This record gives sequence, C-alpha cells and structure tokens, in this order.
Amino acid sequence: MMELKPGSRWKSAVCSSEMVVVRPPKASGVLECGGAPVRAQDSTDAPSGEPDAAHSSGVLIGKRYVDDDSGIEVLGAKPGKGSLSFDGRPLRLKEAKPLPASD
Amino acid sequence: MTQVMKGVRMLEVAQFTFVPAAGAVLTDWGADVIKIEHPVRGDAQRGIKELQRLAVNPQRSSLMQHPNRGKRSVGIDISTPEGQELLYEIAKTCDIFLTNYLPQARQKLKIDLEHIRAANPNIIYVRGSAFGEKGPEREKGGFDSTAYWARGGSAILVTPKELEGPLTQPGPAYGDTIGGMNIAGGIAAALFHRERTGEATEVDVSLLSSGIWATACSIDVCMDLGTDPFSNPLPGQDAVSTNPFMGVFKTSDGGFINLTVLSPAPLIKDTFAHLGIPEAAEDERFSTIEQLMANAPAAHQLVKKAMASQSFAYWIEHLKTMRGQWAAYQSPADVGNDEQVLANEFIFEVESADGGPPIRLVANPVQFDKQPVRNTRAPEASEHTELFLMELGLEWDRIEELKNKKAIA
Repeated sequence: MMELKPGSRWKSAVCSSEMVVVRPPKASGVLECGGAPVRAQDSTDAPSGEPDAAHSSGVLIGKRYVDDDSGIEVLGAKPGKGSLSFDGRPLRLKEAKPLPASD
Repeated sequence: MTQVMKGVRMLEVAQFTFVPAAGAVLTDWGADVIKIEHPVRGDAQRGIKELQRLAVNPQRSSLMQHPNRGKRSVGIDISTPEGQELLYEIAKTCDIFLTNYLPQARQKLKIDLEHIRAANPNIIYVRGSAFGEKGPEREKGGFDSTAYWARGGSAILVTPKELEGPLTQPGPAYGDTIGGMNIAGGIAAALFHRERTGEATEVDVSLLSSGIWATACSIDVCMDLGTDPFSNPLPGQDAVSTNPFMGVFKTSDGGFINLTVLSPAPLIKDTFAHLGIPEAAEDERFSTIEQLMANAPAAHQLVKKAMASQSFAYWIEHLKTMRGQWAAYQSPADVGNDEQVLANEFIFEVESADGGPPIRLVANPVQFDKQPVRNTRAPEASEHTELFLMELGLEWDRIEELKNKKAIA
C-alpha cells in the first residue's frame, strides 16, 4: 500500500518527474504519474517506458497539484513529461491568482 | 560565495521589488529568508503580466527572480487570527523581520513593531517605505519612479533643459534595486550591533532616502550655493572644454564611446595613435599639453571625425590597449556578454521552474573571498508552506486545520 504521508517524496516510474505530498488523501489510493503508480523517491529503479498520452501534460517544479475528491495535494519537485493522477483522476493545477498589474 | 549570513533567518512580509530585493541580497549571502505570501493572490509582483508590452512568462519572470531568488515562500493569510498566530511562531525563530507594509496596514494586520517584538523581543525590525517612517507622508505609498527618481532629484539632474520634460527612470526597478541594497546594508550593520551589544534595533530605509543619497553630492552643493548650478548638456551638441579627449563620441554605426582622458599630458601620442591619427601628435598645435589645451576645439574635431570613421565593435577591440580611460556605452543586452562582467562572475544562473534553460541573473554587487554567488531560483507562490511548517515542528493535524480555515495555502 502506498503511504502518502505529508512530506513523503515520490518519483515517476515513466519520466523524470519527482514530487512531494503536501496534503495526504482522505482515503487511501494510488498516486500516479504518466498513468503509472509512482515509486518511493529512494527506489533505485530507473524510469522506463513513456507516459500515457492521456497523462502527459507534465509536472513543473514548485507547482501544486490537487485532487478535489480525495483532497490529496502534491508539489512538483523535479519536472517531467508525465502528469499526475490519483486513482486515475487527473490532478488539477492549483495556482496563485495575483491581481493584474503593469510596469 | 562565503555564506557570511549562514544561520541568519529573516521573516519577510513584503511585496513588489524594493524591500524584497533586500531579502534577495541576504539569500545571496547565505541567509534563510522566509517570504510570506497571500495564499490566494501571492506577492502583487506576480500580477505583472507584461513588461515593455512583452508578455511575462511567470515561471521565468525576471521581475520575480531578481528580488526573490533563494527564498522559501510560505502562504499565510495574515489577516486571520490563526495566520497571525502562526506568523508570530515563525518570528520567534527569526533574527530579522522585514516589511514594506504601510503604518496603518501594519497596525491592522498586527505586524507592527510592538506585535512582532512581543513574539520575539530580540528581533531586528526593518521597515522599507516610500517616504520614511516619520513626517506627513509616512502613510503614503510609492514606487521608485515616484519617491526615488522623481522626488530624489535624479530626473531633473539627468535631463537636459532643452527637452520638453524629465526623462523617466532607466528601466524597471532601478531605484528599488539600489534601495534594496541599502536595506541589506542596514540589516548587516544591525546584526553586527546586536552581536556586539545584544541590542536589537529598528532599521528604516526609504526610497526617498535612497534617492537623495544617490544625488547627495548635487543636493549638498545646491544647499551650500543656495541655487542649482547643474545642467546636463543636450547630446549631439559639442561641449568642448580645454581637453579634447573628454566627451561622448559617436561611432560609424551609431554606437557611443566615452573618452575620459582626464590628464592627457603624458598620453597625447598614445591617444592619437589609438584613434588612428598618429600624425596629429606631431602637429605643433597638439604636440604639447599647453598647445593641445589652447587648440582643444580643433583637436576635438579630429577626435570626433576619427571616432565616426569606425564601428562600435572596432573601437571596443581597438581601444583595449589605450592607456587613457574610456568606455563603451553598453545596453543592458550588451552587459550579459561583457567579458569583464563574466570574468568576475557578476552573473550567475539558477534552475528554471519550467524545466527550460537556466535563468541568468545579476548577482548582488558584493563578493566575499572572490567567490561568485551560488543561489537558487525564486519560489513559486506558497511553494514551501507545508514543508516549512513541518520543519518548524507543526503537527500535521494543525497544518490540516490551518488549511481548512484557509489561513495557509
């Protein structure tokens, strides 16, 4: 079982993405990247294969990704091609919404 | 770079460039700077979507990277009681509190001197303002274009009187960046004082004080004379003194070279030779310093013509061996490739959050032990909230509760 504790670090099985869980899900489930379950960051397995086309919008460093159903919130730690999902549901990007200004 | 501020932690509640830039300098020097941002809106600086009518890529925005590199961003809504309580807890672990909020906002948000000192009596409390902490304009906000450039005398000083109106500030954040460095210097001195005496001070730096420090030599002269004697010449008009090797000269392709051969007496031959007119040094009108000064207008015409006969790139290469002082007028785009700037490592790189090529940034102007700056990129809004709070020792249940109350990102 995947223990998605806050602060736990994970990496993609199919691309270079790495991520940190910053809010655990309310119920257990599977965090995926590029459509494949993520691995613990200390796993020595190298990524192989390609992200699933339906899960390939990418992970960016410093960005937050959330699943509104489970409440899981994940922070991008290294960029990669695969995008995140939880039990198959794509996570959405949660971004700051600054007021427009101009210089 | 020797991390002279390693182990120092600063809590920053500030937006835009001037005051955050001080935090950026401290991170260049090794300090741990915790930047508090609103959990939804983030630093108002993030709202700048265009620069010179070009769209800003928010993940590569120089306007964010320059004043915020190396920081951790923690999203806290400090208008909530829970957010304030959390801010005080963080303040307990910090050496310095830095803010640019105006007096009324500091009172309303309970982040004024008395509130932060109640949490940590030993903290250095730093205010960056537009017009200073005292006086009739203490509640007035400002930007460097207003408080530094317009108010500080720079605009009137730099503008030739023949022009229709004052020139605007050279590029974005010009006064902010200089002012931010002034704050960083004040913080360093306050830390030193606290180390020596155990006494934590308040520190105030304003855009106005920074602006009039930049023009201090002119202001001091004006105050002494009781009048303003300064008048910048309009470019393109020959303003020949008794020294023909002084001034701004146009190259064949529209570039400009400054010659400042202040004491030409021993340099007449060398200067004329480098300008490609060695025979002028043999001309009796110019061969001695007395003759050269007496015939300065004629010599100046020769220099002007010589400079206009070759390209900007030619002169940059060709004047390298000249003994008198000179400089090319570089654009900010030129500076990024300047051999001397690169040799001194005045520019460094940070990783880009979008996975693209590294972002090149100008380092703060101080080096320790001849070592260049090594620093990290600016944080995304609220990027480090949970990780920082866990590091601080908060239990997850409390973090969850703060999230539910929307007190944190």
